[in-house]
Parts: sequence; structure tokens; C-alpha cells
Amino acid sequence: MDYILLLPVVFPILAGIILLLKKEYQKRTTLLVSVGIVLLLTGGLAFGGIFLAEEGITAFYLTRTLPIFFKVDTLGGFFAGIVTVVWILAGFFSFEYMKHEKNEKRYYGFYLIIFGILIGLGFAGNLITMYLFYEFMTLASMPLVLHSQTREAVMAGLKYLFFSFAGAYMALFGIYFICHYGATLEFAGKGVIPASVLSEHSTLFLVVTMLMLIGFGVKAGMFPLHAWLPTAHPVAPGPASAALSGVIVKAGVLAVIRVVYQMIGVEFLRGTWVQTVWMTLALITVFMGSLLAFREPVLKKRLAYSTVSQLSYILFGLAVMEPEAMSGALLHAAAHAFIKVALFLCAAAIIYQTGCKRVEELRGIGRGMPVTLWCYTIVSLGLIGIPPASGFVSKWHLAVGALHSGIPVFSWLGPVVLLVSALLTAGYLLPITMQGFFPGEHYDASRFEHKEPSVLMLVPLLILAAMTILIGIMPGILTGALDAFAGWVM
Amino acid sequence: MNAFILFFVVLIPCIGGVLTAVIPWKKRTHMLVFLEGLVIANSVLVWLLLFHPPQEMFTMINLTGNLTLAFKLDGLGSIFAGLVSFLWPLATLYAFEYMTKEEHEKVFFMFYTVTYGVTLGIALADNIVTMYCFYELLTLVTVPLVMHTLTREAILASRKYLYYSIGGAAFAFIGMIFILIYGESPDFILGGVLDAAKLGEGTNVFLLIYVLAFFGFGVKAAVCPFNSWLPQAGVAPTPVTALLHAVAVVKSGAFAIMRLTYYCFGADFLRGTWAQYLVMAVVMFTIVYGCSMALKETHLKRRLAFSTISNLSYILFGVVIMTPLGLVGALSHMVFHAFMKICSFFCAGAVMHQTERHYIHQLDGLGRKMPRVFAVFTLSALALMGVPGLCGFISKWNLAAAAIDSGNVLAYFGIGTLLISALLTAIYMLTIVVRAYFPGADFDYSKIADIRDPNWQMLLPLFVFVIGIVGFGLCSAPVTELFLSIAQGGF
Repeated sequence: MDYILLLPVVFPILAGIILLLKKEYQKRTTLLVSVGIVLLLTGGLAFGGIFLAEEGITAFYLTRTLPIFFKVDTLGGFFAGIVTVVWILAGFFSFEYMKHEKNEKRYYGFYLIIFGILIGLGFAGNLITMYLFYEFMTLASMPLVLHSQTREAVMAGLKYLFFSFAGAYMALFGIYFICHYGATLEFAGKGVIPASVLSEHSTLFLVVTMLMLIGFGVKAGMFPLHAWLPTAHPVAPGPASAALSGVIVKAGVLAVIRVVYQMIGVEFLRGTWVQTVWMTLALITVFMGSLLAFREPVLKKRLAYSTVSQLSYILFGLAVMEPEAMSGALLHAAAHAFIKVALFLCAAAIIYQTGCKRVEELRGIGRGMPVTLWCYTIVSLGLIGIPPASGFVSKWHLAVGALHSGIPVFSWLGPVVLLVSALLTAGYLLPITMQGFFPGEHYDASRFEHKEPSVLMLVPLLILAAMTILIGIMPGILTGALDAFAGWVM
Repeated sequence: MNAFILFFVVLIPCIGGVLTAVIPWKKRTHMLVFLEGLVIANSVLVWLLLFHPPQEMFTMINLTGNLTLAFKLDGLGSIFAGLVSFLWPLATLYAFEYMTKEEHEKVFFMFYTVTYGVTLGIALADNIVTMYCFYELLTLVTVPLVMHTLTREAILASRKYLYYSIGGAAFAFIGMIFILIYGESPDFILGGVLDAAKLGEGTNVFLLIYVLAFFGFGVKAAVCPFNSWLPQAGVAPTPVTALLHAVAVVKSGAFAIMRLTYYCFGADFLRGTWAQYLVMAVVMFTIVYGCSMALKETHLKRRLAFSTISNLSYILFGVVIMTPLGLVGALSHMVFHAFMKICSFFCAGAVMHQTERHYIHQLDGLGRKMPRVFAVFTLSALALMGVPGLCGFISKWNLAAAAIDSGNVLAYFGIGTLLISALLTAIYMLTIVVRAYFPGADFDYSKIADIRDPNWQMLLPLFVFVIGIVGFGLCSAPVTELFLSIAQGGF
């Protein structure tokens, strides 16, 4: 019995609840120190769980047939690992950033609770456990979205909530059927539903799969239910938008893989209309997201649209149903997590130091905040896909996988759309760098003098930039395991 | 135990209720202690009966021929009786505090307590005649409760309630007559009592009768298009809306339909016929209709009443799947919904009692001022939505599992309506929660400075319900298995 799997889930959730119920702290430092300790301890426990646990553990039974079961496999460990790294870095970043926001205690309370929930999502060993944490995640992350309590933020929070629940219930529809017909609820290699059942009820299962794809796709910002994302992510406080946009959207990807590859099985789906529709939706989202980001003047919103686009790179890679494309997609998930968190943290640092929110106000910012802008530039290159930063390798695998798949039209259309979108990505990210460092001859950038943020903000940024490079030049540390996983499910 | 006690538990609250009104109490406290003691004693007696069920039935009166008023405890009845007798003492306790602000307390408590006995009569009825009599009686004793405030609105509401219920009962009466004539026995027997020999060629007539009786009893279960009395009846004091219009009265309707479907006509006879498809379609429509109406309602209690309409049809959806698993789903939602809805109604009542606020837009910022009440309300909202880990998830799960298992394609769409309704529930419940906790950055808390949580008499029932909601949500296996054994006739 691997009790160590329960600890990183339960501990931060309990800590968060206690924090929420406690009276206000006298000194801010006490709050920060205790939150920092909880974050680091949970991080240690999570990595302990990822590397030490083998068997899995059943916590309890909802009904006789629905166990709450935890187990770590490659995918879950991968997800939990990314969550842990990002959560700790963004957490330390908030220690500085949240100084100028109200209700800090509530923020950290929910921040810790979601940390536990996300690790639970990664460690979930069967469908029902995953769904449980998936819903909890939506509920617990809403207070972060509407943290500032402006009317705009509250409306955005509600929009987030209702889109997410619409998605979750579409997925639940499928879960009912999978649970009824599936041989087991645990995640398996190539699907759990007997082939005879699938062929007998093929229409039913195709419809159900499509519904689940769209449902879980909501969290990943897939067209047509993407509209909440550019509304909800930018209104949250800086580090929270980073965490939402970098990690929580990946929960949608995780759920899609779990359902499509490990519950239904790709053998059944390959070549059906579901695959075609899925690829079409993903490509539309890729292109549309980039285009909308390109014409968006507010920096954080631009980044949110970018998330919409990049997440569908991952979904397209999964929709192709080729091992190489899948490991490319997973690699891109990791790369995008670090990159997008770094980008949002840069935006947050800029807002915190200068109050500038729109792109055209940032001209000349490189004078005063060179380190921040350098980090921004490095990770931007990663997102565009310029070697040696990380996005290059992942997109390479994605494109090669798509070309190998031999699916008519999509095998070449996909890579073309990805390339066009990469150009657009360069178009919406790099002007900030260029104008930031080269504002023009007579431009007065003195208002940005000495605006570099404190160490607490810079160190997380530097670490994230370094990780982007690291994954770019040494993708082997991840691809080995990811290839094995892709081979296992296909 | 002696079967006579079955009659006794129905009688005690009726006599006790009348005594409450007759005795000239010197102090209010004496009356309250007497009432609470009476109700608790009766509930204890009911639970003793549940654990030591008498095997034989108790015949009260023999009207003529096979028309007898008789009581017997079987599986289905014991679930309903257990549910009602668990909730009644808590609701009475809550009512003590709530009624301090209302007039004509004695009359109120008289009818309130008598209703307890009558509801138990429906639960413990041995045959359709007895059930029908108590069903009519229930209408009569609850009308004064709806009318209680004697405002014009209340009188209109109670009149509507009366007409709808009596009209519904007339249709149910037709069903009863057919069962008495064409059934092998007037008693409730799982699997139905229709005598195949007497049926002859007239299957369609019987299906029509079933549909009529379904809608007749369905009036109390607020099935479309006979549901408009329920939101209007929300003018009654909260203990009435919470216990009667979310549990006792409306679930008597659902309970009667269970009896009608599984114990009179028989699920096997009805399954796959046009009658099943018709009632299922109506029930599915009601599910979505109730939620949509709740969404556009701005009065807190009326919104919850519309939510009840939708949730009652969840129960009926389970019933009309017409398989044992369907009955399991229906029973679990009957019990779990009782806890969730009475809980949210009591929270609404607590808000009204403490602040005199009735509309949702007036609830801004109350989450911080009434932390306990709103924490409980949030929990009940999440449970109603069906968040896993709370009891609403389990009952929806059972309903969906039954629908899939039946292989009925219309029932697949029924799962869809359940989920649409869950989304709408999320919208109409969580907007309240968000409003209460996040009133906006510039909200002035000094305006509501002197609002606080109610006293223990109102809070204690809430906490008990919370334990139920979470407890059933995390560990439902024993209850579900009990329901299954009942649905398969093992108990």
C-alpha cells in the first residue's frame, strides 16, 4: 500500500482549508513563511510519490463499484511533476506580487487547495477519481479568477465556472457509459471496453467519445467552447493566471488522453469521423487562437489567446493518433507549461512594477527591466519553436508524426497550419522584445528606469527560462519515458 | 412488534396535534417541549418498527368487500416512513425558532403535527384504498398551512393547491377503481396485481388508465403541466415549504407513483409500451422545465421550489425506467434529495428570518455575515449539482446506471436531460453563492453589520443534514444495497 500517494494530495488541501478558516495573520511574514513551507513540503512529498510508489492505493469506496483509487503511471507522474515545479515557482513569485492585492489569505488558501487537487488529478488511478478531482479543480480555482472582485472579474469567474461545468457534464455522460460497459475503471494500455461491445454499439460510443472530447476540451480551450479562457485567465492576479494558463488547462489534455487512449482505445477511433472532427476542431483552434492573439492589444489577453492556440497544438498531436505525434504533444505540454507560466509571470512583473497592461505602453521597457525582458525573449523563442529553446523539438515531433500518419489531407494540412501559426506566434510575441529593447532614437524610456523586480520575482523567472532551454537541448530526459508511454497506449 | 403499533404511530401525531391546539398553555416553552417530545417519541417508535417489522398487517376498518383500511410495513414504505420520521423532529425544532415571528402559532403546530401522522399513513398503507384515503387527507390538512399568513397571495395559493390536488386525486381515483376491479388483490405486491385473465384485449385501455393515474398522483409530484401550484405555495412559512413542499407532500406523490407503477400495474406490464414513453418524455421535459424556470426566478424560495419541481422529476425518471435498478435510482434520489433540498430551504428560511430579505439580489455579502448558514447552503448547492463526494452525485449515478442498463434509447436522452439540468442547477445555485461571498470590491459591509447567524435551534438541523449529505456521498454502499434488495423484493 502506497500511503505516500495520499500525503501530497491531502496535506496541502488540509493546510489550505485551515488557512481559510484561521483569523487574519498579524504579520504578513508569518503567512508567507507557512505557505512557503507547505509548498516545499508538498513538492517533496509529490516527488516522493512519483518516484517511490509502485502499487497504488484505494482510499475508500463511493459505492461498491466506484473506488477512489490512486496510482502513478508515466502520464500521471509527468503531470504531477510539472504541476509541482510550476506551483512552487509561481507561489514564490506571488509572495512579492500579492503585496498589492487584498485578501491574501484567501488567495493562498485556495492556491494550496488547488495544488493538492492537481496532484490528486495526476495520481488518480481510475476514471472516477480523475473526475472527482477534475470537478474539485474547477470549483477551487474559481475564487482565484474572481479574486479582485471587480464586476468584470466576478462575471469572468462565473463564465469560467459555467463553461467548465458544461464540459464536465458532457464528459460525465460518457463516463456513465464507460463505467457500465468497461471491464474495469482503472486506466489501462489500450482501452477497457471489450471489442465486441464496441462493434455492437459503435455509433453510441463514437457519439459518446465526441461528447467527452468536447467536454474535456473545454478546459483545454478547444473550439467551440474556448470563449471562457481569454476572459477568465487575464482577470486573475498575475501568478494565478500563470498557474491557470500554464497548468490547469493541461488537466483537460490529461483527461482527454485518459479517456481517448486509455478508456476507449485508439484502435476503435482511428479513421472514424470522430478523429476527423477532432483534428478539424484542433486546427481551427490553433489558427484562430494565434490570429486573435495577433490582434489583441492587452498583453495578458494576448497570452491567453496564445494559450488557446498552443493547447490545440497538443490536441492536434493527440488527434493524429501516432506514437511520435503523441510524444511530441506531451513534450509540448511540458514546454508550454514552463513557457506560458514564464510569460504570464513576466507580464505580472511588468504590471506590478510599472502598471502597464497594453502592449504599446511597453516600448522601451528593456531599458529598465532588462532581465525580465530577456527571460521573456528566451521563452518566446521557445514558444515560436526556434532551436535551441524547447518548442522546437516538440513541434518537430508533432509535424513528423502528422506526416507519418498518412491521413488524407490532414497529414500535410496539419503541419502547414502549425507553421503558419508559428509565424503568427512570432508576430505577436517578438514585437514586445524588439520595441522593448529598441524603442527608437528619440523615445524617452526614462519612466522605466530601475524598475527591475525583486529577487523573489526574478529567480522563478530565471529558473523557468533555464528549464525551457534545458528541455530544448536535452529533450532525451523526457522523451524516453514519453515514447514508452506512447508505445504502451498504441 | 405488534402490528397495532403501525396504526398507533399514525394516530399519535394526529391526537397530539389536536391537543396542542386545545390545551391552554401557560408558557410557550411548555407547548414546545410537549410537541418536540411527542414528535421525537413517535419517530423513535417508527424506527423501532423499521428494525423489528411486524409481519402481519393491521386492519383498521373494513368498509365493504375488499375495501379495507389497513396498514402494513414493507420495504418501500419503510424507506419513506424512515425518511419522514427522521426529518420531522428536526423540522419541528427549526420551526420553533422560525415561528417566533409569525402569528397563530398554535394552529400552525396543530396542522403541522397532524400532517406527520397522515404522511406516515401514506407510507404504511397496505393497499391502494388506504393510500388514497390518506392521500386526500394530506391535501386537506396541509391547505391551512399554505394559507397560514392569510394574505391575499396565500389564500390564492392555497386555493390553487386545493383545486390541483383534488383534481389530481380524481384521476388517481379512476386508476384505483380499475385496480380494484381488475386486480387480483387490492394489496400492494411487487410486480403488480393485474389479473391477466381479466385483462383480455383491453391493454391499451389499461395503459391509458395508468397514464391518467400517473398524472393524477403526479400533481403532487409537480409533474408538467400540473406544477404551478408548487412555486406559488412557497408563500407558506419556511418549515412548511422545506419539509412539506420539498419532502413530505411532494414525495408522497412520487411515492404513490412508485406504488402505482411497481406494486399495482407492474413494471413488466408497462415496460416498452407507449405509456412508458409518454410519461418518460413528460418527466424529461419537466426536468429541464423546472431548472429553466428556476434560472429566471429571482425570489429565493420560489427558485428553490422550481428546483424541487425538476428534482422530483429525477425521481419520477427513475420510476418510469421501470426496472429494479430504476427503482433504486428513484429511491436514492428520493432520500438524498430530501436532505439536500430541506437543507437549502432551511438556509433560505434562516436568511429570511434573520434579515427579512427574500430576493436573491438582496443577498450580497451575506456569506461573511452568516458564515455557517452560507457554508451549509454552498454545500447543499454543490450536492444538488452532483459534485462527486456528496450525495447528489450518487443518486444521479444510480439513475444514469439504471437508464443505461435498461437499454431504452429514450432513457439515454434522459441522462442527457439530467446533465443539462445539472448544468442549469450549477448556474442557478452558484450565482447565489458567488453573490453572497463575492459582493464586489466596493461593497459596503457596514450596511449589513448587525446581521448574524441564527441560534442553535436553526443551526442544529442544518448540521445534521450536512452530515447526511456528506455521509451518504462518501459511503453510500449500504443504503444503495438496501434499496436494491427492496427493489428486487427481498425485503
